[in-house]
Amino acid sequence: MFSTAVRRVSRLTQRTRFIQTDATVNAAEIAHFSRLSSQWWDENGEFALLHRMNPVRVQYIREKLIEIAREEKGEDVAHEMEQRRDAFRGLSILDVGCGGGLLSESLARLGAQTLGIDASESNIRIASTHADADPLLSSSFPTSSSLHYRNTSAEQLLKEPERFGVVCSMEVIEHVDNPAAFLATCAELVKPGGHLFLSTIARTPLAFLLTIAAAEYMMRKVAIGTHTYHKFVNPSELISFFQSYSSPSTTSKQPWITRTYGGGQPTRKEAEVRGLIYKPWSGDWELMSRSASQWGAAECNYLFWVRKPFTS
Amino acid sequence: MAFGAIRRSVSTRVLSYRQQSCGRAFSSKAIQDFDVVIVGGGPVGLALASGLGSYRLVRESLKVALVEAGDLSKTRDWALPPDSYSNRVSSITNSSRAFLEDIGVWEHVDQSRTCPVQEMQVWDGLSDARITFDAADLPASNAAESSEMARLTENLNLQRALLRHLGSIGGTELLQKTRVESIQREDRDGGHGWPLVYLSDGTILRARLLVGADGFNSPVRAYTGIPSYGWSYDVRAIVATLYHPPRGAFQGPNRTAYQRFLPTGPIAFLPLSPTVSSLVWSTRPALAEALCHAEPAALAHMINAAFRLPEVSVRYLHKLILDAHSTGASISGEDICSETAFREKSHGIPGYSAYASVSSMLSAGVPPNDAMAVPPIVTSIQPGTIASFPLKFNHAESYLGEGVGSRTVLVGDAAHTIHPLAGQGLNLGLGDVRSLVQCIVQSVVRGGDIGSFTSLRPYAAERYFANHKVMSAVDKLHKLYSSTWEPVVWARSVGLEVINELDSVKAALMMDAGAGDLERSRWDLLANGMKGVSDGLTTAKMLGQGIGGVFTIGINEITRRLGQH
Ligand SMILES: Cc1cc2nc3c(=O)[nH]c(=O)nc-3n(C[C@H](O)[C@H](O)[C@H](O)COP(=O)(O)OP(=O)(O)OC[C@H]3O[C@@H](n4cnc5c(N)ncnc54)[C@H](O)[C@@H]3O)c2cc1C
Repeated sequence: MFSTAVRRVSRLTQRTRFIQTDATVNAAEIAHFSRLSSQWWDENGEFALLHRMNPVRVQYIREKLIEIAREEKGEDVAHEMEQRRDAFRGLSILDVGCGGGLLSESLARLGAQTLGIDASESNIRIASTHADADPLLSSSFPTSSSLHYRNTSAEQLLKEPERFGVVCSMEVIEHVDNPAAFLATCAELVKPGGHLFLSTIARTPLAFLLTIAAAEYMMRKVAIGTHTYHKFVNPSELISFFQSYSSPSTTSKQPWITRTYGGGQPTRKEAEVRGLIYKPWSGDWELMSRSASQWGAAECNYLFWVRKPFTS
Repeated sequence: MAFGAIRRSVSTRVLSYRQQSCGRAFSSKAIQDFDVVIVGGGPVGLALASGLGSYRLVRESLKVALVEAGDLSKTRDWALPPDSYSNRVSSITNSSRAFLEDIGVWEHVDQSRTCPVQEMQVWDGLSDARITFDAADLPASNAAESSEMARLTENLNLQRALLRHLGSIGGTELLQKTRVESIQREDRDGGHGWPLVYLSDGTILRARLLVGADGFNSPVRAYTGIPSYGWSYDVRAIVATLYHPPRGAFQGPNRTAYQRFLPTGPIAFLPLSPTVSSLVWSTRPALAEALCHAEPAALAHMINAAFRLPEVSVRYLHKLILDAHSTGASISGEDICSETAFREKSHGIPGYSAYASVSSMLSAGVPPNDAMAVPPIVTSIQPGTIASFPLKFNHAESYLGEGVGSRTVLVGDAAHTIHPLAGQGLNLGLGDVRSLVQCIVQSVVRGGDIGSFTSLRPYAAERYFANHKVMSAVDKLHKLYSSTWEPVVWARSVGLEVINELDSVKAALMMDAGAGDLERSRWDLLANGMKGVSDGLTTAKMLGQGIGGVFTIGINEITRRLGQH
């Protein structure tokens, strides 16, 4: 079994008027994933691999945020975060394309004020119903965290004033029509000094083989039509996007990534690419170490982190 | 943040469901939410609560309740005079002990009531083939830190320590003298309902994660509908606390555990102090019944004989006891004593041998050469400690409940019950606990839902096959040794050259459930040992063909029988 667990509902709107106004939305993608939405919380079903991938993604976000706290606020603060369940207390996080809420729920449990948005209404309904069963996430219980869901798109949200300490969009970008516009929207939703986390699939022969040829057609692990090869995004493309990208809302034209090493890799304080490898023998995903290869063994699934400059 | 979140309360539905489907007087009580509800306050359930409570991360974020039908305050206040011991004793392996030390429990165990095992003597009741092994046989890294193979501890001493530890860290809600009456799935959209645990005092607990640590008859296992496969052995285990004189000055201390494999089942002698040891004697139910009802003095003589006399005489004494019991005649200690004396004489066992129990001419002076080959002579039995338990083999088909939102996991005897011949039952349970605690902590750190299948999957993956291997090895050993059938015995007695099956006994006894790499190396030893059995049988089969018909048929039969189950 080689699959890559990427049937993430790509969502960015399902109402016709959004499809007309939002540059990045793909109506066919939304329809495809809406059909699968009732399966979100069947951990052995259609989304099993995604359920297994989720803890590794959360672990990466947690470790990255603690690493930065250690550099900026010192060892004591970092240590305290490591010891606490609600390591994300005081942080606002936006989960773009939240699907059934797998990632959103985890972020909320770690103490973040979490907003999950999705263009598919059925996804939002499923995510909300599921969270309601959990007293830790339910709004009727006083906890440090809170979890909310909205049926909207990133583009719509951008029209509101709210900006976020962290914006996540996992397994979404490979499903949108205009990745550059989508990236710019996500980037604009991040507060200065905040973080953007993405996960996606590289456009490599290996990724084609595993995610489309093997997972969809041969093994039937993933519903056929989940992936479109030409939409896969390579790490180098994300890096070069943020090398030239600066926020239109500010006067300073400082890009998010100012320098790279010889192989084109960014410095650790600005951005990072880490591969995610599925181990069929144990059924687990593993986060590759930074040194695993040029892009942290990101030949197939990978995580991408980039930080918005304070002054941009 | 005013995001206009979509929210819908389902609590009214839960209430109506409760009233409709249960029609009980629960309605006055509110439903209490818990992150973990542990059913069962035996050693495994308490260890799970202790293990979870030992992490600050867990203490601060999870609400844990433990439900136990029995009286835990009695266990917490348990105290016995120094020379009296409870009859339920377990050998705690070094890795189990290391785990108990890590979570801060071991310091609450009364060390003066525990006894290190430094040597084990195991022999075949029919062929007398024997192996001796000691702490030096343990893999180097393990032996270096301790000169003991395991620690014998009364179960109550451990349970009291666990309760003291729980008391000192606080946080766990202990619901004692409370029975779980039924468990239902809460009714919610999309099957997201959580288990509702109905207690005998009318309380209802809603569990994010429901843990069955409720022993062999696990109500939790029944609720989740997890099938289990197993059988009752036609065997009961007699336990008792034995008194005996101390070992003499020229002998080792009372730190050797003995086990003799009789065809009726193994008899084990487990040291607790210089003058007290514990008995675990697995035998046929009828015989167990007769032995438990005989005069304690008669039982003491039977124990001495069972460790010493040739099997044919042991069998004869069993028949005496059985006949007396079935006719209602009483048989005294003296009767057994004089019969044993006669048998010792007729077997030519000299009075200065350790194998002589009643005609022993030994005094406190120089011990016989074979002094350490058998346990000290039992002189009496602590009153009120003779009891017997049925023995079972049982393994749940899965440790996790099936289906969306089952939120159920099994640990300890609820998941697996084995023959006590290798002293592994509780150790396997503690291995489960260590793994499950790690799994839960990991899930908390990653913002997971600890009741989800995804969070619990690593526990099942880590424990199921590890336990399965121990269980089937122990089961095969039981079957191999309970055979009196000529070809098997013949194969066992030529044993050490043809089949080195005692190696597998050794491996089974020395197994350290949950000891990581060490464990693996011992698994290999065990696996090789078991392979030795089958290779040996193949060799025996070839030899058998030369010997003639009856052996050949017999050996085919052994191979077939060993392959059963
Ligand atoms: C003779 C003998 C010798 C043994 N020797 C050894 C040894 O040397 N080493 C070793 O490792 N193991 C040994 N074992 C095995 C060991 O005793 C068991 O593995 C161990 O006790 C299992 O612990 P547990 O907590 O899982 O289950 P249990 O000890 O059975 O505890 C289950 C608990 O659940 C409670 N419960 C059940 N139903 C309900 C309900 N509906 N509501 C509330 N509470 C409930 C019960 O009251 C009980 O307290 C031996 C076993 C026997 C029989």
